[in-house]
Amino acid sequence: MVNLEEPVLKVVDLWKSYGKLEVLKGISFELKKQEVKVIFGPSGSGKSTLLRCINMLDPPQKGEVYLSGINLMDKNVNLNKLRSKIGMVFQHFNLFSHLKAIDNVSLGLRRVKGMSKDLAKQKALEALKRVKLADRANHYPAELSGGQQQRVGIARALAMDPEIILFDEPTSALDPELIGEVLQVMLDIAKTGTTMVVVTHEMGFARAVASEMIYIENGLIVERGIPNHFFESPKSERVKHFLRQIDVLYGKHEDLIKIEKEK
Amino acid sequence: MFQGSSNPFEIFFYWDEILTGFIMTMWLYGWALVIGFMVGLSLAILRQYGGRFLSPIATTYIEVVRGTPMLVQLWLIYSILLIPLGRWTIYSNFTLFGRDITVVFFNARIIVCIVTLGLNSSAYQAEYLRGAILSVSAGQLIAAQSLGMSKVAGIRHIVLPQALRRVIPSWSNEASYLPKYTVIVSIIGVADIFNQAKNIGFDTLLYFPVYIFVAIIFVILISLISKLLNTIHKRTRIPGL
Ligand SMILES: Nc1ncnc2c1ncn2[C@@H]1O[C@H](COP(=O)(O)OP(=O)(O)OP(=O)(O)O)[C@@H](O)[C@H]1O
Ligand SMILES: [Mg+2]
Repeated sequence: MVNLEEPVLKVVDLWKSYGKLEVLKGISFELKKQEVKVIFGPSGSGKSTLLRCINMLDPPQKGEVYLSGINLMDKNVNLNKLRSKIGMVFQHFNLFSHLKAIDNVSLGLRRVKGMSKDLAKQKALEALKRVKLADRANHYPAELSGGQQQRVGIARALAMDPEIILFDEPTSALDPELIGEVLQVMLDIAKTGTTMVVVTHEMGFARAVASEMIYIENGLIVERGIPNHFFESPKSERVKHFLRQIDVLYGKHEDLIKIEKEK
Repeated sequence: MFQGSSNPFEIFFYWDEILTGFIMTMWLYGWALVIGFMVGLSLAILRQYGGRFLSPIATTYIEVVRGTPMLVQLWLIYSILLIPLGRWTIYSNFTLFGRDITVVFFNARIIVCIVTLGLNSSAYQAEYLRGAILSVSAGQLIAAQSLGMSKVAGIRHIVLPQALRRVIPSWSNEASYLPKYTVIVSIIGVADIFNQAKNIGFDTLLYFPVYIFVAIIFVILISLISKLLNTIHKRTRIPGL
């Protein structure tokens, strides 16, 4: 049987522990092409661990991760190659400090995709344009603001032309006045059809583009649903409590992004 | 004929011996620094990324070498290597200002010295290099891997280029102290600058002037090395950092 809508990412019953500490206790979800999934939940609930398990930077003990049908837990797959199809954007940017913005973005194209120097630069510049940083191409990370650094981080992931991009709290290390520019870029790339898993507590962003939101606590999915479900009638008390706290914990940033009316 | 002289400048009559001694010292220093760097870098990488098996081996080596006197290391390597190396010499003769000058490049003793100084220095350089490797945030290597680079490629293209810049200030300690440590080779009769000074002192009894002169040479040499590394450090600075 041919599956016309095979999920880009399918996570099945993922378990991860560090010694005695059980961090993920059976997480499952899947994303179709162009879907945006928002994952949220309290600190220490396992969100970052989940993302690191998905691209096998920190392999889970049990479970399956399929990228367009290929099982990443299979011993015979080339993980480096598959990782190049899974972009990752980090809370603390993790830019390469010794490389200019343009070289941060082009490095993967050259070293992993084997592109020529010129072609890689050209592609990198296109990616920097998408995050509105073409004019900062020749700056080093330490010469950029946090918001600009994070946008370089996003360009670095975008340039690889991945099937999916994982975002781990991309705005939570930023000063409030810098969050908007990053969310705006994320909104733009979401709207142009990038498949994304986003760990974030920016509810305005979630409301605007999430096809589904997943609330995780203690390594378990407690509740999931479309954004409206969470904002209007969340079921569990824990979620209600968390959502009430969210502005206090992470700041209220509702008006940071301009959400265009759907045509 | 100069025995018991009281004119301190008569040590310069022996300028050719001081010169060959200086060449020998610099020769040993250069080899020790280069071997120490290459072995030290390998040790630092093994200690940091070698995993459960290789990392403890590198750690043990570093701690043992740093924890024992270099004199002991020299005697150990001397007794292991000297006889198997055999008797031979690679040298060069030339005439300078009417003096016949012989510069010896390699013989068994010199190799013993180069190996000892290099292996000794490698343990110290390894620790400086490891400190610099640790100072590169781990997130950068993870980011490189998330792009699809292997860990080895990430270490090579992301961690090392930064670590090698950052190591310069602490590494310059080793680079500028190492010339002083080479004087230990005089114990097994290698004609370095210290050994030559001792011989000149023996001939002329001008021990004090000749040792002062050698000390001045070391001070100048070490400040030049520090200055040079300082310049390199400034030139390779990452903008904004
Ligand atoms: N490499 C590791 N070794 C040991 N324990 C770890 C490791 N990584 C994470 N943990 C533990 O796993 C738990 C989940 O961590 P994780 O970083 O995934 O949480 P999180 O949901 O991302 O939290 P936050 O919102 O603070 O980022 C924590 O208790 C953490 O201490
Ligand atoms: Mg986290």
